[in-house]
Amino acid sequence: MKPKKIVVIGSSAGGPRILKQIFMDLPRLNGSILIVQHMPKFVNESFANNLNTFSDLTVKVAEDTEQLKPGYVYLAPSEVHMTLKNNERIFLTEGEKVNFVCPAVDVMFKSLRHEPGLNIIGIILTGMGRDGAEGISYLKKIGGTTIAQDKESSIIYGMPKEAQDTGCVDYVLNPQEIHDVLIDLLGVIET
Amino acid sequence: MEYPVMIVDDDPSVCSAVVRFMEYAKIPVVAVESGKACLEELKKGFKGLILMDVIMPEMDGWDTIKEMVNRGFPEGVIVCMLTGKEVPDAKMDELKEYVMDYIRKPFDYAKLVKIVREYLSYLD
Repeated sequence: MKPKKIVVIGSSAGGPRILKQIFMDLPRLNGSILIVQHMPKFVNESFANNLNTFSDLTVKVAEDTEQLKPGYVYLAPSEVHMTLKNNERIFLTEGEKVNFVCPAVDVMFKSLRHEPGLNIIGIILTGMGRDGAEGISYLKKIGGTTIAQDKESSIIYGMPKEAQDTGCVDYVLNPQEIHDVLIDLLGVIET
Repeated sequence: MEYPVMIVDDDPSVCSAVVRFMEYAKIPVVAVESGKACLEELKKGFKGLILMDVIMPEMDGWDTIKEMVNRGFPEGVIVCMLTGKEVPDAKMDELKEYVMDYIRKPFDYAKLVKIVREYLSYLD
């Protein structure tokens, strides 16, 4: 069954600290979450394992051709671009760097498609540069909800500012507010 | 294994403060005063967390990371910037895959040790 709610998060320098604040004590949310966090490859597994300990969600490093499941968080592995096909299946492909990075937030965000009944939420967190700004505009265009981290809580207010400057950001929030909004927008999987 | 911290800063007072904090926290630490000396430590096989200053004479923090990338970014090394520079300059943009965090001076003991422990835990 296809997920009805997909959250895509783009994050760079300082992101691990912010992601930890957002994920801390989150219940098992009724949606799939994908994260592009710029980082060296050897950190992928330990970062996913670390983030996995803070919430009831299952955090894992994404695998090629993996089908999205609700309650799961998929972390993009380094050195490949992560995309979604038909809003339901992950593809990992080698490619040129985009915005100086691979995986790039823009590449992931722009792989989503408008689909009736599907709720897409795009979030840009702390980081240098403008990766994610085009992706946020794109998500807005296909009917997604868009969020940027606020200046006060951003460790580097680069990516969130570039996203806001597109005029396509719906909400500017701090990590605690993003935490709360995720619960409101996705709801909780009842056990 | 307990991984060490390397502070790279041309300001001896910053180096000694970080060394003192790490010693209080019982985290192994080495201090070097330049990008060049940092590269030497890496050549000797350093694995752990590097706290890298940005503005240094001769080779700044970004040039040092660039050289690390040119030599093949070492596995088992995490880099966080530790700097008084409020806003990073454009040189960071192309190196952001290699920089996990950006910590501003002045820093206090509790905050720095918390961040250091977090990134060291990724190396376990």
